[in-house]
Amino acid sequence: MIDLLKDNDELLLNAYCDGELDPASASEFERRLSSDTALRARYDRLLNLRRAVCSVPEPEMPAGLQARILSRLDQPRPETDQPSHVGALRRRNWSYRALAAAAVFGAVISSSVMMTMEQYARRENVASEVVAGHIRGLLAPQPYDIASSDRHTVKPWFTGRLPSSPQVPDLSAQGFTLLGGRVDVIGRDPVATIVYKHAAHTISLTTLRASQSVPDQAIAGYNVRSWSDPDFTYVAVSDLPSADLAAFERAFSASTPAPEIK
Amino acid sequence: MLEGGPEGSDQLSCQQRISVPVVQNTDERAAFDEVFLPHLSEAYRLAHWITGNASDAEDIVQEAAIRAFRGIKTFGAVNARAWSLTIVRNTAFSWLAKNKPKTVVFLNDLSEAERQQVEYGPHGAGIETPEQIALAKADAEEVQKALARLPVQFREVIVLREMNEMNYRDIAEITNVPIGTVMSRLSRGRRLLSALLRGRE
Repeated sequence: MIDLLKDNDELLLNAYCDGELDPASASEFERRLSSDTALRARYDRLLNLRRAVCSVPEPEMPAGLQARILSRLDQPRPETDQPSHVGALRRRNWSYRALAAAAVFGAVISSSVMMTMEQYARRENVASEVVAGHIRGLLAPQPYDIASSDRHTVKPWFTGRLPSSPQVPDLSAQGFTLLGGRVDVIGRDPVATIVYKHAAHTISLTTLRASQSVPDQAIAGYNVRSWSDPDFTYVAVSDLPSADLAAFERAFSASTPAPEIK
Repeated sequence: MLEGGPEGSDQLSCQQRISVPVVQNTDERAAFDEVFLPHLSEAYRLAHWITGNASDAEDIVQEAAIRAFRGIKTFGAVNARAWSLTIVRNTAFSWLAKNKPKTVVFLNDLSEAERQQVEYGPHGAGIETPEQIALAKADAEEVQKALARLPVQFREVIVLREMNEMNYRDIAEITNVPIGTVMSRLSRGRRLLSALLRGRE
């Protein structure tokens, strides 16, 4: 992407305003901005335009649209595939219907049990994959792909690599030093893992898609602690005692980092 | 780089399977509630921005919701928001292609010369400080009118970026063009918007 930008200030300017430059290119561009007044004027103009666009009121969704959509979905789907068959079945005696109802009931019951079991297995799997990521991190020369104690470096690094990236709070005041970040692959999805240090212990905080539940547990000598917010499910792995991991969770959840400044 | 109009709009229907309706519906419905529903009002706003019209936006969102519901199995568990908005965007473009409203300009409605000028025209030249002053005075209504006059391919990237606060990667996914095209359309679209606002008196 950078090669494309090199000789094209206009695109570079836009990408900078949109927060799409990697940190190195962004700081180089900032250096240019501070010395080049013409570029600075174009930058201000672009900011003005963006501000003007954002001031346009957004159309409001009509009340009741959601209800209309849901009621349309809840209507039975027209059975176009085998209409004559259905009619024939209906004309026979009641035992077919009872049989069918029983079959459907059975299918519902067993499928929900299967689903629960499948979810259970998946949850177990997720936890051990997250722990595996932590162990791999410890075995590698360093447990992170991007080393930085600056959350403003780590967050954009994730943003550039993943469809959604978590907030990266600075928890050094609470005793958890930010070391950096890496991308782990859980299942088939690349996910963000933030790496903190507490005393001599490394903590991997893996961020999964929201609304997964991973039970707190110990795997291979590492404690696993998980919690969720509306955006992500967090899984912290460390050889810290679980009380310290709980303190880490509190510190992380309590931190509400200032909105990213573009 | 240029695309005519609707893309990928039919890809959902072929994934659709009709079998074991009871159990599958419950499942699909739960998935739909989790994946598509949270983005409904954003979906509506996007449809409204693309078509410029409330009742069309409503039709499009209803249609998109049904497509999403039927194609819920194709959701790959990566980015529910981008997936949902992609469907809405494609539904809106199919709708535009079918109904061809006069108020919506496509890039390929422009003459070759205009299009060249708009999409590949010279950088940097021409826009100077007067515009900055003009912009400071532009009120929301004028900006809205100027936005409506942009070719729809420019409007959608600007709306996705500014209103939906999407990153380039998601915009590229939703609009089905490479990131480089997203970048150039954003840059062109913003320049064109500036020019429209400057020339509004």
